[in-house]
Amino acid sequence: MPSRVPRVTKTEAVVLKRRRFGDSDRVVTLLTPARGKLEAVAKGALRPRSKLAGHLEPMTHVEVVLAHGRTLGIVTQAQTIEPFAPLRDDLERLSAGLYLLELADRFTVEGAEADAAYVLLLTALLRLLRGDGQQLLVRSFELALLEATGFRPEWQRCAACRDEVTADGLVWSPLAGGLLCPRCRESHPEAEPIDVSVVKVLRLIQDAPYEEAARVRLNQRVAAGLEGVMHDLVRAMAERDLGSARFLAAVRRARPNDDGEPGGAESPDGDVTYTPQEPLEAPGHTGG
Amino acid sequence: MNESPHGSSAITRLVESFHRLPGIGPKSAQRLAYHVLRAPEEEARALSEALLDVKQRAVLCGACQQISDTDPCAVCDDTRRDRTVICVVEEPLDLVAIERTNGYHGLYHVLHGAISPSDGVGPEDLKISELLARLRREDDDAEAVTEVIVATNPNLEGEATAMYLARLLEPLGVSVTRLARGLPAGADLEYVDNVTLERALAFRQSVE
Repeated sequence: MPSRVPRVTKTEAVVLKRRRFGDSDRVVTLLTPARGKLEAVAKGALRPRSKLAGHLEPMTHVEVVLAHGRTLGIVTQAQTIEPFAPLRDDLERLSAGLYLLELADRFTVEGAEADAAYVLLLTALLRLLRGDGQQLLVRSFELALLEATGFRPEWQRCAACRDEVTADGLVWSPLAGGLLCPRCRESHPEAEPIDVSVVKVLRLIQDAPYEEAARVRLNQRVAAGLEGVMHDLVRAMAERDLGSARFLAAVRRARPNDDGEPGGAESPDGDVTYTPQEPLEAPGHTGG
Repeated sequence: MNESPHGSSAITRLVESFHRLPGIGPKSAQRLAYHVLRAPEEEARALSEALLDVKQRAVLCGACQQISDTDPCAVCDDTRRDRTVICVVEEPLDLVAIERTNGYHGLYHVLHGAISPSDGVGPEDLKISELLARLRREDDDAEAVTEVIVATNPNLEGEATAMYLARLLEPLGVSVTRLARGLPAGADLEYVDNVTLERALAFRQSVE
């Protein structure tokens, strides 16, 4: 006998976004651990004395009680667990947080299981709150989210034929979803060269524990290369531009005395060059 | 066979026109269309003239970007206003709300939105470059703007817009301030969210 959805559910959630609904209501998009992404109406949330509105701002970790309507659910209660208030007072961290939210929204679909995406998003927001370096934090989230949603990029072998790749003349394609061998490159005219250090860091972030990858300090060239590759990849997988990626760039351009490159102002330890210690070879690579 | 569901292509066209308006569903659109049908002709004429008028006469004030019949608008043209302060608001109706308080006598600037990346609204979609140009274009004989009050909404989009504006405006040597945040009149403390309560505590005032 099919299990019935209870009429009222209490769940934790991260508020991804919201929109106006009629004169005084809002529809909020929530990412929940058990029920995936869902939309629900917050009645009266546009009124100044609303008991719900303050708890249902995007980028808030909340506990909500949902009553299930015929189409949209209704938020009957909401209580903030973590408001991420310091992120709202810091333009760099706020713009990074908006990017995390939009990524989570684009790579999840309503009604589908999204437990992994929920845990990844909440963890990334908590790390942002803790003050972790944004470049590695965001890159780590992008790679983990792509993997959790079935879009794991290939940085070890050729993404098209699984053949080995050599460190010389590395190329990659966002449409192929990773590196390409010389033979497959011919059928991917959009393929572009990729810096060997960028690939090395991508492999590290993808395969090593976060705490280990987070110890890497990036120089601006590698940080810019990483960001460019990941933004291109995300755009190709999501099949659209992300507004928050454009906002990140605008915020960086507006930074006083900045050259507009990522990574320059984020590391508390300053700008430390990452030097690859290992030769760039895929596991089992024989040099062929 | 008549293809129009309402028996008249004119009614169908009117229903469809009302349906395109925000917040108007198919039933409301039908009700409005049949109301117009049954109303005196003068009422229908006044409605159609008002619709055309708003498109033909309403212009954006070249200075503050508010919707107005004239350029410059009445506020920008009023020599009694304090020209050293500009209050930046998201929407034209926010300006109307502040004017209604009778507590502000400076100038305005309407952004026509707030930064909302998930909705595809970035800084380039707002009237930010017009504000910067306005602050840089101060005539020698005019009083220089000394303060910009950022009156964007106290939500995520409003905060992002305010901080972004502050970053752009500070190098211009103007003081950038933000509307105070705290408890709304008539609020119930038990239900107030953490952020609002924290701000209300941080910006508490002595009881006079």
